[in-house]
Formats: sequence, structure tokens, C-alpha cells
Amino acid sequence: MTEALAYPFMQRALAAGLLVGLAAGLLGVLVILRRAAFFGDAVAHASLAGIALGVVAGLPPLLLAAAVAVGIGLSLHRFERMTRLSLDTILGFVLPFFMAVGVLVLSLTPGFQPELLSYLFGSILTVSWQGLAVIAAVSALVAVVLARRGPALVFAAFDPEGAHAAGLRVAALLTLQHVLLALVVIASISVVGIVLVNALLVIPAATAKLLARSLAQMFVLAPLFGIGSVLAGLAVSAWVDVPSGPAIVVMAGLVFLAAWAGSVRRGRRPPPRGDRTGGAR
Amino acid sequence: MYALEVKDVTVWFPGQERPAVEEVSFALPEGQIAILIGPNGCGKSTVLRAILGLVPFTGDVRVFGMPAADARRQIGYVPQRLALDMSLPLTVREAIRMPLLGARGTETDTSVGHFAHALGIADLLDRRLGVLSGGQLKRALIARAMVTSPRLLLLDEPEAGIDVGGEHTLYEILARLVSHHGLTALVCSHELDLVFRYAHQVLCLNRRLQCTGSPAEVLTADALKQLYGPVTALYHHRPGGGT
Repeated sequence: MTEALAYPFMQRALAAGLLVGLAAGLLGVLVILRRAAFFGDAVAHASLAGIALGVVAGLPPLLLAAAVAVGIGLSLHRFERMTRLSLDTILGFVLPFFMAVGVLVLSLTPGFQPELLSYLFGSILTVSWQGLAVIAAVSALVAVVLARRGPALVFAAFDPEGAHAAGLRVAALLTLQHVLLALVVIASISVVGIVLVNALLVIPAATAKLLARSLAQMFVLAPLFGIGSVLAGLAVSAWVDVPSGPAIVVMAGLVFLAAWAGSVRRGRRPPPRGDRTGGAR
Repeated sequence: MYALEVKDVTVWFPGQERPAVEEVSFALPEGQIAILIGPNGCGKSTVLRAILGLVPFTGDVRVFGMPAADARRQIGYVPQRLALDMSLPLTVREAIRMPLLGARGTETDTSVGHFAHALGIADLLDRRLGVLSGGQLKRALIARAMVTSPRLLLLDEPEAGIDVGGEHTLYEILARLVSHHGLTALVCSHELDLVFRYAHQVLCLNRRLQCTGSPAEVLTADALKQLYGPVTALYHHRPGGGT
């Protein structure tokens, strides 16, 4: 691993992975609070429409994918309010619809598109300096927004009605959260690909949820698990010569399973829903 | 000036044949506990949600003379239930301080501690919200609503899911908060015994406001029969037993 770090491509991969692990880990906590674990999957798969348009039109595919993802992020909460459908139902529409559009557009292009595989499964080792700069900018944006509006975003994600009653502009906050998530999803595509991108959002935050004793701890642990998974996955990838994206996700999954086993052993798992006692004490 | 003025409020949900509440008007003087009563589906929660701007409505709502939309920071809200993920490691302290939006410092901690103590949950501050009993959770939600020092408190069936002793404790605490903090409270309730004991003003709702007045004026057999149907009876407990 240390020898591999001598190569600029490996340095870029490491930096990109760490930044994405940090940003996705932080936003993953909001995803868990909002109970929208499906969000990353839906936006990533829907962005295939943008990638396909880019491939067909000869434009930067990730730029068009970002346009589709941000468009979805901007309109999701408005659509939720207009249709009165739940977020997961709307995401259940967004994913297949836009992905189908992408597949149809690609079917119009003759011949095999080899670069599509890198979008589907990620190719962190081929991240360019330009790509790294975009990932750094997205991560910085996430950090700045969370530093300034984090508590309001948490309140709106956890209890939208309570936040509205407390005077917050919940629609704007949820839209901001969706746009940030969309940007992080697009930034993460180069690391783990469309198929696995949601893992970086959900698994580190879910692992943190198993171990944390407070929400504040969850915000510390989730990015640490995200970064740790990327480091471990890259190391495994370099050592065994396997694709880095799936290696990162498998490492994140193993950490989750270990955390779950640890929390069960220490009896820190909450009781099942039906076991909750009622009555005032 | 009234703490709350509701004028001709009508809420009509899309696709419904008739409004959920129709031309509801009432006014609450400062420092009172007013309790909205009525059968299920009569629009009690809808009136609270209209005041909070959570549902679209026609009419006018003013809080201390200001349009309700501009006075939301004067209002504390205690929902009937919270769709809580039980496994979330959110502590009671974090939940109560959430409306303070990350403000730090001694004043914030004092405020959280003060209301946790007033609600009798000071020893639960570092517990997870998801492990609290129904009564403890309600108290935590009231503390959360109080922590920004609102002047008007809206409570949606605070006694729901709480045992009989707990109901009275909760209303005792509410009455104490109202008198100590100069609050005005508007409460939705089904418990006529509690209404009789703690309300200064009772509002009978069945889509439209049917009657208002003191508990003694409003909680009569005829009025309740009109509001709930013929099966309702109110038993006034006399000291020393008997009804």
C-alpha cells in the first residue's frame, strides 16, 4: 500500500476516497434521520439518464448526470407536497423512470460503450486532478453548509412538523438537504459507481447508529467509518488486485456486521417496537 | 389583546366533500388553558394545525395581535405523537434542545435543565428518547416546546397513551407552567374529567364551533349529548366518594 502511494493516481484515489467518505458519512446521518435510505440509490440510478445523454451528445457525462441529480434534488420535496405521496414512493418512481430513459437513450447509440462500466461500478484509480477538485469542492460545500445550518437540517429531517412549528423554513431546508445529497451521490460515482454509491451514504451512518450513544456521536462516527472503509477497501484492492469500488463497500459492510455483533454482545440494541412500555412514570 | 384570535377559519382538504372545519372563530385571553373537545374526526387537530400553518386554510389567525405566520416563534407545539425511530441514538437532552438550533452556552444548558426539572425528567436527560415510556416522552416533548420560551402552547391530546395517574400529573404540570410562565395553552382532549378540572375555557367542536364557555357552562348533559351523541355522561366526583 505504501509503495502504491508513490503513484500520483493512487494519491488522487486516496484523497478522493477520503473526501467522499467524509461527506457521504456526514450526510448519511441526515439520510437515516429522514428515513430515506433509498435516496442515494434512486438519485444515482436516475443520473444514468444524464450520463446517457452525455455519451450520446458527446458532452461530459458526469456534468449532465449532476444536472439530472440536482434537478431531482430541487424538485423532490415540492413533488412530495404536490402529490401528497411519501418520499420513498416518489423515489420508487424516480429511479426506474429516469434509469429507463437512460437505457432508451443508450439504445440509440450503436456499439458497446466501455466507459459506461466505470460509471456503473466506479473507477477510483482513474480519478483525474479535475475530478478530485470537483470532489473537494462538493465536500467543502457539505462541510460549510453543515457547520452553518446543521442543527436546522437535523431538526427538519428528524421532525419536519416540529421544525415548521418552531419557525423553520422546512421546505427550503429539505430541498437543501436533497441537493447536497445529489451532489455527493454524483461525486461518489467515480469512487464506487452508480450501483454501489448508496452504500457510502447508508452503511457508515447505520454503523454509527449501532454504536453511538448520542446524535452528536453519530455525526463523529459516521464519517470516521466512511473514511475507514475507503482506506481499508483501497488497501485490499491494491493488495489482492480486485476492483476498488466493491472492495470499499465490502469493507464498510464487514465493519457494520462487526458493530452489530458487538452491540448485540454488549446488549446495547434497543428493544423491538412491540416491547416498548407505555404509561406515564 | 388576546393571546390567540381565530376568525372564520375553514380547512378544506383536497378531494373531500365537505370542509374538515368550517368558519371556526374564537379568542383566548392571556394566561388561560382552553381545551378543544369533540368526537373523533371533528377537526380538533386540524384547528391546531391551521394555527401552526401546517395545513392551508381560509380565515385569519392572530397570535398576540400578529399574523400567526409571523409569530411562530411565540408558539410551542406538542404533537399527539412523534414518528420516532426507536433505535436512533438521540438523547432526551438533544431532543429538547433541538429548537435552540445548536445554540451553545450556559444559558442554553440552564434552559434545558430548567424545563427538564419542571417536567420531572431531569434524571433522564442522557437517556435515549426511544427508550422513554409514553408519559416520559410526552414530558420531553413539552420541555422541547417550552425551551424557546413561547407565550402560546398548543398541545394535541397530551394524555394520549398515558395511564390515568399520568394524565393528571401531566395536566398538573401544564397548569403549573401556565401560571409560572404566564403562558396561554390551547389543548385538544377527549378526557372530559380533565377538561372539567383544568380548563378555564372549553371549546366544543364538531367541524363547526358548537359552544364555548367555562366547564360548568359547557359540560352539561344536553351539550355533550349534542356534541357526542346520546351515550355520553359526565360524572363529577365529589370529595369523600360518590358521583
